[in-house]
Amino acid sequence: MSFEPKIVAFFCNWCTYTAADLAGTSRMQYAPNARIIRVMCSGRVDPQFVLQAFREGADGVLIGGCHPGDCHYQEGNYKALRRYHLLAAMLEQLGIERERLRLEWIAASEGEKVKRVIDEMTEQLKKLGPLNWHRELEPAGSSRSPATGSERPEAKEAE
Amino acid sequence: MAEGAAGQERIGVYICHCGVNIAERIDVEQVAGFTSTLPGVVVARSYKFMCSDPGQELIKKDIREQGLNRVVVAACSPLLHERTFRRVLTEEGITPFYFQMANIREQDSWVHRDGGLATEKAKALVRAAVRRVSYHEPLEVREVPVNPDVLVVGGGIAGIEAALTLAEAGKRVYLVEREPSIGGHMAQLDKTFPTLDCSACILTPKMSDVGAHPNIELLTYSEVESIEGYVGNFKAKIRKKARKVTADCTGCSDCEDPCPITLPSEFDEGLRERKAIFRPFPQAVPNIYTISRKGVPACQASCPIHQNAYGYIALAAKGKFEEALDLILWDNPLPATLARVCHHPCEEDCSRRDVDQPLAIRQLKRLVTDTVGEWELPGPEAEREESVAVVGSGPAGLACAYDLRRKGYRVTVYEAEAEPGGRLSAIPAFRLPQEILEQEIARLEEIGIEIRRGSRVEVDKLLREHQAVFIAIGAPLEKLAIPGAELRGVIRGREFLASLRRGRPLEVGRSVIILGDDDRALDIARAAVRRGAKATLVSRLPQPKAASEEIEAVQEEGVRLETAVTPVRILGNGRVEGLECKTAGTEFVIEGETLIISAGGVPEAEAVAHLGLKLTAEGYLAADPLTLATDVAGVFAGGECVSGPLSVVEAMASGRKGAESIHRYLNGLDMYGARELEGPYASTIEVETSGVEQRPRQEGPRLPVAERKGFQEVQLPLEERAALEEAERCLKCAGCCDCRLCWTVCEPEAIDYTMEDELVEVEVGAVILATGYKTFDPRKIPQYGYGRYDNVLSGLEFERLVNSAGPTEGKVVLKDGSTPKRIAIIHCVGSRDERFNPYCSKICCMYSLKFAHLVKERTGAEVYNFYIDMRTFGKGYEEFYRRVRTEGVKLIRGLPGEIVQRDGKLHLIGENILLDEMYDLEVDMVILAVGLEPRADAEEIRRLFNISCSQDGWFLERHPKLAPVSTFTDGIFLAGACQGPKDIPDSVAQAGAAAAGALALIDAGQVKLEAYTAQIDASLCSGCRTCISLCPFGAIDFDEERRVAVVNAALCKGCGTCVAACPSGAATQAHFKDEQIMAEIEALLQEG
Repeated sequence: MSFEPKIVAFFCNWCTYTAADLAGTSRMQYAPNARIIRVMCSGRVDPQFVLQAFREGADGVLIGGCHPGDCHYQEGNYKALRRYHLLAAMLEQLGIERERLRLEWIAASEGEKVKRVIDEMTEQLKKLGPLNWHRELEPAGSSRSPATGSERPEAKEAE
Repeated sequence: MAEGAAGQERIGVYICHCGVNIAERIDVEQVAGFTSTLPGVVVARSYKFMCSDPGQELIKKDIREQGLNRVVVAACSPLLHERTFRRVLTEEGITPFYFQMANIREQDSWVHRDGGLATEKAKALVRAAVRRVSYHEPLEVREVPVNPDVLVVGGGIAGIEAALTLAEAGKRVYLVEREPSIGGHMAQLDKTFPTLDCSACILTPKMSDVGAHPNIELLTYSEVESIEGYVGNFKAKIRKKARKVTADCTGCSDCEDPCPITLPSEFDEGLRERKAIFRPFPQAVPNIYTISRKGVPACQASCPIHQNAYGYIALAAKGKFEEALDLILWDNPLPATLARVCHHPCEEDCSRRDVDQPLAIRQLKRLVTDTVGEWELPGPEAEREESVAVVGSGPAGLACAYDLRRKGYRVTVYEAEAEPGGRLSAIPAFRLPQEILEQEIARLEEIGIEIRRGSRVEVDKLLREHQAVFIAIGAPLEKLAIPGAELRGVIRGREFLASLRRGRPLEVGRSVIILGDDDRALDIARAAVRRGAKATLVSRLPQPKAASEEIEAVQEEGVRLETAVTPVRILGNGRVEGLECKTAGTEFVIEGETLIISAGGVPEAEAVAHLGLKLTAEGYLAADPLTLATDVAGVFAGGECVSGPLSVVEAMASGRKGAESIHRYLNGLDMYGARELEGPYASTIEVETSGVEQRPRQEGPRLPVAERKGFQEVQLPLEERAALEEAERCLKCAGCCDCRLCWTVCEPEAIDYTMEDELVEVEVGAVILATGYKTFDPRKIPQYGYGRYDNVLSGLEFERLVNSAGPTEGKVVLKDGSTPKRIAIIHCVGSRDERFNPYCSKICCMYSLKFAHLVKERTGAEVYNFYIDMRTFGKGYEEFYRRVRTEGVKLIRGLPGEIVQRDGKLHLIGENILLDEMYDLEVDMVILAVGLEPRADAEEIRRLFNISCSQDGWFLERHPKLAPVSTFTDGIFLAGACQGPKDIPDSVAQAGAAAAGALALIDAGQVKLEAYTAQIDASLCSGCRTCISLCPFGAIDFDEERRVAVVNAALCKGCGTCVAACPSGAATQAHFKDEQIMAEIEALLQEG
């Protein structure tokens, strides 16, 4: 079986999540590789979430927010953009290709764009191959302990 | 702490089939079976319709019987049914936040074809929801009272209906309309389909109801500028644009008649003209006139004395010369002089320049003064006690004296020379006949300005007799600051000009060189030529500072111009032989017997010493540049003696500035405030010049060169007919020309030119947007010839044409006035066309059939409707279609590809797709059934109110079926065509629905605040303040005492940006905590 990449998508409630719903109501067909997590604003996407997703086995992470000037919270998407650039640079230093993290502005009316972006990203990741970060990070022989709510993930300090 | 960690959760999971919507793609039983194995899950079931009553009952039963304390539903989008299921929990006494939804329909079964993969995805989504829900916490939902007032934006039929419904329900409504009257597009329509009710007859009673309703505050000619706050508590700033007419207006229309400005009537789609003071249509609500004034036009703004050129041109064009002159005299006591000698910066800035050439403004002023011939200056309205001395009677002194005298001051002008006029009296008669100047000065004396000729003065003596002094003694003394100036044959320009006036001109020999940069140098050169000399004018400037006409005239008369030249020294041995010059690095010599210097004058040392005032290093009088005050209290100085070389009109501006300062000084007013607009400035009016037809400027004739021997005036007036044609070239940049004739006839005294825009702040609980649409611009389809062919009309134009109150009183006629024999109506113009708008505009088929019926009824002409599909859904619509067919209207399926004009007839060429044959039909008139489009500024309005647009640009409703009048921003509702093309019944119905939505919100009395707010754990906060700068709502404050950041929950909107940025993990967002999202991530990616 060919490699099927896993994508975690953080979509803002007001624009991109709604656009994904619109893609559904319009019965657009796209790759089943993305799993969407709803956040209120792309500005809520903590770089830690992205790192956690890669660590847990994601091959790519997609962040979707409102177009510049359209943010429901005025400027959360700009904050997301700032963090995205820093994070992408950092990921590159860690050996994670830039293409694995993508930020897209998708308005509530752009169901078509949800389909296009997810399809494109899936294709791109297929070419890149699996990231396998979760396997590499795992010390040989030890079993991975699942993150629990009671302990704060250690990546927070590194921010 | 989340209970998830303690492991006490009992979770129920429900997988919805959604009929077949989910179940046909996803193996729901497999998902349910998988889910039941997950930790914490007590029960997992699938059911046909979870949102149905039995579905909800299923959950309730399990809660009661199985002791569930968490619920997950995997079904459609949480945006649709999260509320439904939360309510189920509430009803069972569980906090509604112990619920999570997995979106396996919109984001899974509907978008993936492969059932196996869709099922796998569903499992992951459900697992993530189950994991997340165990970390959920109960949240506090705060409630705040709702402001019961409502803002309705847009006063078309939808806005009117919404406002009336709310007002009838006892709510206070602010109805904001951009145009001067409410009514919108419906007011423009003639009949309405399919009942053929007269549109105005059914609309205007509603409009009057709005105007009269005690609960509606109508804000017309107004726009919402900003809005802040949240559902239940919005604050809107509304700009009430200055109408310049107060509410005292009775709508009597007396003001229309004297107004000289006609502009295309927006209401009549440009088929008729309206005045600059207008109401869009007679039944306007409110029935108040509006003056459309866009600002100060370029001609007036660039004029140093802000002469209202636009105004006097407009009046002159209407033959109102007396009124035009009155307007000129408002700012200018020397109109006949300036009509001859002004260097006219107004023409340099004239907007017409962008089309062809500027208007001949100076010549039009000449037309006014020549035509009126004799006049008196306006005197003071009331006399005042204070007296002012003006020293010097040049343009600065006279302008100052005039302004002060009009304010009532007693003014005495002291002139050292025997003849008043200063530099004006030195202008040769071929440019300014002596009697013209004498008359102007006599008029000034007639209004009580005393001019003492041959009078030398001293400041301290003047101050004993007068309360203030204005010194404008000019700078006539040319500096001879060039080597060789001591040679014989070097003459000061001033002496030469004075000798001309005396009639005993100085000898200049056969060749003369004139050094100078302005109109004075030109005058000298022209005078020298008339004395038989060969003249060369040397100027440092690329072009002398003078009117273009004078530069042309001087060249016609044979003066050689050497511009952009630096004079180095005067050559000669005892007597002038030539001038050595430099230009662009090369040196050359101009030969001449005489050299006249007319540049860089200073005030006469003797006169200045007399006055006892301070001088600058350059030899000018020292005065404050803004107020012209000298260091002696009560003494002001202006004109060339302060500034150096000025043109006549610039000197007058300086005089007016002095008058303003003296007035302020004598009344103890602020000397510095509000003086920014005293000098020339750039107009802010943007003028659209594309499409303006070119028409050449009418230059005034000049005396033939052969006849210019003596001192006869060279510039001749324009003939009246040519002058009026010239006046018609004015682009009317500013709308209203500020001539104030309307003011003279307004009995209720309702006209107020000083009215400024006003900002009003209103507080409301809900907003209804009813901003409507615009029609498609058929110019975008050039092959239909709209705008090129006279008889190709848009739908709205035809509405006005066929309306009995319209430009033709309802007669359907061609441009030439004849009655059309054959008319074509083209459907779907700009609609259902991938190149323009892919959507159907919904109303065009019906209005096209209505037009067909009206044409038949009014003219009996043959009618052809060209259509793609006939869309006549709606009550009575199909019946109307049938009726029109029986009236003999011909229907052709297949739109024409193009329209061409041959021998004055329009030919429609295309294919009849039912007959499969080409047609070429000759008609007299074509009506384009243009579609509907979002307003040009819909995008800005959308951003202002923080709502979304659909792909086509129409405002986006919350749900296309279940919430068509709500938006994603709570408290903001949509009504009418701003949400998409709609006919009148639909708009009215939607307006009612929007009003009901607002009422439901208001009558609930309370609104729940955002629950997903941020909190900051003070024990973890390091006080770095990163979050404070990030918060767009100013919801985070710094507690100086505890050195920690604190969230104000009432202001927090719950975006979570601060949480993502908090480096110490002190900030958390309710319902979107790190551990909740982390759990979701982990569960989504878990394998197996």
